[in-house]
Order: sequence, then structure tokens, then C-alpha cells
Amino acid sequence: MTDLASTASVHPAAPRFRHGTIEAALGAALLLAWLIAAVGAGVFAPYDPNALDLVAMLAPPDGVHWFGTDHLGRDVFSRVIYGARIDIWMGFAGVIAPLVVGVTVGLIAGYFGGLTDTILMRILDITVAFPFFILVIAIVGVLGPGLVNYIIALALVAWVAYARLVRAEVLVVKRLEYVQAARALGFSDFVIILRHVLPNVLGSITIYAWTDAVMVILAGASLGFLGLGAQPPTAEWGVMIADGQPYVLQAWWICLFPGIAMVTLSLGFILVSDGLSRRLRVSS
Amino acid sequence: MSLVSVQGLSVTFPSEKGPVAAVRNVSFDLKPGEILGIVGESGSGKSVTCRALLGLLPRRATIGGRMIYDGRDLSGPAEIQAVRGREISMIFQNPASHLDPLMTIGDHVAEPLRFHFGLSAAEARAEALKLLESVRIRDAASRMDAWPHQLSGGMKQRVLIASALACKPRLLLADEPTTALDVTVQAGILQLLRDLNRESGLTMALVSHDLGVIAEICDRVIVMRGGEVIESGPVRDVVTNPQHEYTRLLIGAQPGRLPQMAEPQEAPAGLVDLKDVAVHFPTRSGGGIVRAVDGVNLSVRKGECFGIVGESGSGKSTVARTIVRLITPTGGRVMFEGKSVADLSGADLTAYRRAVQMVFQSPFDSLNPRMTAQQTIAEPIWRHGLASKSAAMERALELMDMVELPRSFATRRPRALSGGQCQRVGIARALALSPRLLIADEVTSALDVTVQAQILRLLTRLRKEHDLTVIYISHDLTVVRKFCDRVAVFQGGRLVETGATADLFASPSTEYTRDLIAAAPDMDQAMAERA
Repeated sequence: MTDLASTASVHPAAPRFRHGTIEAALGAALLLAWLIAAVGAGVFAPYDPNALDLVAMLAPPDGVHWFGTDHLGRDVFSRVIYGARIDIWMGFAGVIAPLVVGVTVGLIAGYFGGLTDTILMRILDITVAFPFFILVIAIVGVLGPGLVNYIIALALVAWVAYARLVRAEVLVVKRLEYVQAARALGFSDFVIILRHVLPNVLGSITIYAWTDAVMVILAGASLGFLGLGAQPPTAEWGVMIADGQPYVLQAWWICLFPGIAMVTLSLGFILVSDGLSRRLRVSS
Repeated sequence: MSLVSVQGLSVTFPSEKGPVAAVRNVSFDLKPGEILGIVGESGSGKSVTCRALLGLLPRRATIGGRMIYDGRDLSGPAEIQAVRGREISMIFQNPASHLDPLMTIGDHVAEPLRFHFGLSAAEARAEALKLLESVRIRDAASRMDAWPHQLSGGMKQRVLIASALACKPRLLLADEPTTALDVTVQAGILQLLRDLNRESGLTMALVSHDLGVIAEICDRVIVMRGGEVIESGPVRDVVTNPQHEYTRLLIGAQPGRLPQMAEPQEAPAGLVDLKDVAVHFPTRSGGGIVRAVDGVNLSVRKGECFGIVGESGSGKSTVARTIVRLITPTGGRVMFEGKSVADLSGADLTAYRRAVQMVFQSPFDSLNPRMTAQQTIAEPIWRHGLASKSAAMERALELMDMVELPRSFATRRPRALSGGQCQRVGIARALALSPRLLIADEVTSALDVTVQAQILRLLTRLRKEHDLTVIYISHDLTVVRKFCDRVAVFQGGRLVETGATADLFASPSTEYTRDLIAAAPDMDQAMAERA
């Protein structure tokens, strides 16, 4: 039994700092800060985000209005805080919807192969052939402006990246002997896909999803800017930037602060993604 | 005077847990014209030692001690660079990955000549042709412009040797040069190395895990374990009179030294019958077909251990997967207890899945990396509704006892287990459904010999205790000879020969089987032949 004795200590004690831990922690801290701000917006925001104060229109940042006010006299700080609710929700929903569609398609196409694979991949090719953002705008245009329709459009368009990633990984994993073993043990395809294939392809998907969130938030803000995303007077960062755009020379603060908010939230997502990918790379 | 003298070599790698010593205080000498074998199991530091001589270790490695080549101290990168390729060359385990796919065979051999000696393209090409002929590449002139992917594994290794010898080095380091090759090809490469040593007095250090290979061509051997040299001396002395306990263990675990585990019985009823089975695949480019298995007829009897041997591409694994119904045959029938397997469906198919189980080659890849040992073993039991989930987990512990895996390993995932331990989990999982037929596909080929010996003993015990029929698939004839009652020899998708193990080895009826038996490296046989 030498193979038992000599390798009894293969399991390493968890080291204090693994690769990528610092990035991941920093990113998580940023995201957590924004999450707290969003959840506690009612407590942190000094003003109602939609309350007009026509006397204090375009007031620069000072002790009363920390981030100044916009052209309708609304408090920019309060609107940035409330805006976090919309943008964070958008980030998560806009990732999860295409992720679910894409992972399902990728699993089915990769695992079953053959004609199923061919049909699904041709549909994917057709979707990819359209410019991404224009297709999203077209779908939102048909369905009508609004955040929910934006998420639906993403589910219809952005799934392709997930489907490709998952399919490629499934093609590798399904050749591995533990999947063969599961088949030899007589498990159903459903069980094999769900229990033995899916958990082992989730790693790279997770990393991609965190970076994708940034794209979703930025694209959502762009839609808001175009008037196709969140609708005024909703406090959403893209809409706020659009609102402030005519006044950007006199009142820079209307655009700047929601812009900074967007950058820090995106940075949070990117850092988490980076940290996770480093950790995964090291451990595998 | 020795050509190379290694004194107190140590190599340390940094890790998250602190420095890990891969090689500790290793000293040896290489006399001009001798072949030194460095033998050890995985993790023994044999490859690291070899690479240190050529300065091929990653930058993060810390190297201590002295390496002296022909009176020169190889202590710095510049000194090593001066001899690398020119005086000391190296060949590697996997020839395919050490040849640039975008360079022709001729260029591979000509390149070092142009780089080190500044020969013109034409001169180098002429010289390369001579070198390719000297490593016995048939029809070398027409192969000069071939690409690596057009050559077989054995040919690639010959090209690699030719390019290593291009600058007429005095020392050749060979790191497991035949491990990735079939036995008949291996025999040819070993013969070539021996001839090169005799004809031109080339000094060699041959790193191998296989004492059989070492015994065939080496003069002296050093035995390594855990980064240290534990024994060294002339091969004959070490083999016949090992001093260290581990060396004795290693020698005792050689397949040729294993006890006879097979016990042929009087012909009982057949369990599995293959009738004219064929598996054909369309080729990648369309058009043609690949006959992975063609016209195979064989019968496996109840309770016996049936060996299937063959080299890579012989179709032996495809046959196994066809029996388990992972692959549907394109022709012929697989019969289990008189019923055609292809016709089974519903409850009959489920019953068949339970009755026939398989253990796979790769210890790590055959287990789901996200599941613990206990979960892996328990899963088939509750999925087949044979017990509740908690009862299945309990049963899994009993199965762990059965395969001699301590219960404390129950919560470990594959990554925290060794190769042998993973293979025990794989065996326990296969036994979870109480099968009657167990198919073992190269289950020990990725394991060290000492672990292989344990697994074979375990399988023999389980076979007797559970009245199992076993189909044992292997490329290793020596193991099959010890372990199996009857043997079938495959070549190129066809069944060449089948018979009782003792008869087949004593009087093989086909030339291919004779070659295969002659090529199988065996320590004792090699020693006897060299006497």
C-alpha cells in the first residue's frame, strides 16, 4: 500500500494569498459598496431622486447638493445612488438571461452533436452575422423602449458567446473518461449533462459572465442615452448622462458623476473576473 | 577519467507551500562510452536531473552542486550554452511535440549543422541525409521533404535522434525516449541506441521508469526515489543483488517477476460472444472509411480473465467500448448470455448496464473532478434506485474497504488522490452495481510499476471473491501473461490470434504475435540474453 502512504499529504493546506485573491477582493469590495448603496438608497440619498427644485436648477456641487443638481433641480447624488439599483439589476439580469439561453444551447449542441449541433450552430452563425448593437437596437425598437425589452433583446442576441464557449468545452469534456464512465453506468443523458458535464464547464463561463456584465451595463447606458433603455424620469446613469448632455459645458457635474459611477461599477466586475480567472488558471 | 561528473546536485522549486526539493544531493559519474540508466517512478527526480545537465529547467528552479563536463564546470548559463547541442544533446519522451510541424524532416536535421558549424544549405542537406540514413530511416532521400505529421511515432523519434546527433555530440541524454511508442517500435529504437553506442562510442544517459528497458541496453544504473539516489552500480549487480529495500520492491514489481495470477479452468459456458463485429468510421475528409474493427469473432467464457493485447490503433479499446455499448457496431453482433446487446432496451438495457461495467485508462480523467470519492462510488447505486441516497453513501464506504482504500479518503476529490488511489475509486464505482463482467481498459498503463502490481493483486482478489468475468485490455504482454487465462491478439482492427495464454506464449502461430512477444521488454530475459 505504498501509494496510500506516500501520498497521504497531497492535499495542500490553503495558502494565505492565492493568485488573484487581491484583485478579486478589490472587485468584490467595489461591487459590495455599490450593492449596499443600491439597497440602502432610501437611507443614503438625502433627497427624493425625482423631486424637482426649480429654484436650485444647475447648482454646482456644494455642501447642500454634494454632486450638484441637474436642469430640473434634481439632486445628482441622490439620483446616482438610486440609479445603482437600476444599473446593477440590469447588469445581472442582462447577463443571466443570455447565459441561460446560451449555456442550454451549447450543452445540447456539444453533447448530442450531429444534426442537432449543425442546426443550432447555423442559427448561431446567422445571429452572429448581424452587428451586435444594431440588432439589439432593432429588437428593442420593435418591442418598444424599456429595460425589460432590453434584457429580452440581449437574451436573443448575446447568447451566442455563451453557446460557443460552452459547446467548445463540452466537446472536450464529453470525451473524458468520467463522462464515458457515466454512460457505461447507464445514467440518462439528462443526468450526465446536468451532473457531470455542466459543473465542469461552468468555470470559464463564470469568468466570461463577469466581463460580460460590463458590456451589458455600458450597452444599457448607451440605450438609455438613445432613449431606448430606461425611460425618464427613472434615475438610470445612461439616462442621466443623456439628460445632462445639452448642459455639459455649464454643468459638467450632471454627466461626470453618473459616468464615474458607471466606471467604478464596471471596474468591480472586471476585477472580479480577472481575479477569478487567475485563480482558476493556477488551480487547474 | 569521466566525461561527466555530477557532484551534490540539488534542484529546488518554489511553491506556495515553500520550497520543494525535486532533487537532493545527487552525485554520479559518466565514463566515456558507457550507457548509464537512471530509473525511478514518477516524482523521483530522474527527469529533473537529466534536464539540469542541459540547463533546461525553468528559471524559478534553484540549482546547487557542481556539474563538470570534460573538465569544464557547467555552472552558468553561458557554459551550458557552449556545450548544449554541440557536445551534449537530448531526446525526449514525446517526439511529436518536439518536432516543429512547419519544418520538414530534412530541415530539422540540417538546422543544428547550419547553426553550430555554419554549413551552407546544400552541405547541411547532404549531411542531414547521411544522418537520417544512420538512424535507419528507410528511403531517407525521399523522406527529406516530408512533414512531421506524415511520419509514424517511431520515425519521428528517429528524426529527433538524427537531429540530436547532427553535431556529433559526445553525450546523448535520452528522457523516456520509448515510453510513448509501441513495443515493437520501442525495440527498434533501443537497438538503434545500442548500435550508436557501439559504433561511435556515444556516451548516453537513459532515463526510464522501465527496468526492462534499462536492462536491455545500460551498463550501469542509478535508482532514484524522492529526489535522491538510493542505489547505483552495474545493472547486473543491482538487478541480481539489490541492496536497498526500495530497489527490491521495484524489481519485485516488474511484470515478469509477478506471481502467476491466472488459473485456467475447464471451458465453462460463454458469457460474451462477438460475431463478425465491425466498427467503421467515415474518414475526416469524407470519402473513405476507417476500419477501426473488422470481422472480429471471439467468445469470452464465464468466470475467466480474458486478455486483449495489441499496439496502438489495433482496435482493442474500440472492442471494449462496443461490448459496453458506448459504441454501436456497424456490422455483426455482440451477444451477452445469448441475447443480442444491440436489441436491448428499457429494463433489459438497464439490467445489462448493471451486469457489464468498465474501468478506464486514465486515473484522473475517469473521475468527475467535482465529486468526492464517496459520492462517485455511491452515485450509480442510488441513481439505479438500488438504495436510498444515504444508504448508498454507506454502501460506498464498504466498497472503499473492498478496494483497500482507507475510509478517511471518502471526502477527497480526485485532485487530492494519487493515480493508484483514483484507479481504486474507479474500480469501486464499477463494482457498485455488482456487475458480472468487468472490462479493464489499460487500467495500469498510467501507473508506476509498484502501484500496478498492487492493482493487479486487487483485481485478482476481487475476481475470485465476486466470481467476476474480466476482460483485461493491455499493450503490455508481460502483464497479460501473468494475469489472463486466455488472450486475443489484435492488429490493425483485426483479431490475429486467440488461445490459452500459456499455449499462445509458448507457440505463437503468427509472425506478428512472435514479434510482439520478442519485443516486450522484460528485465530477466534481457539480463539472460546479455549474459
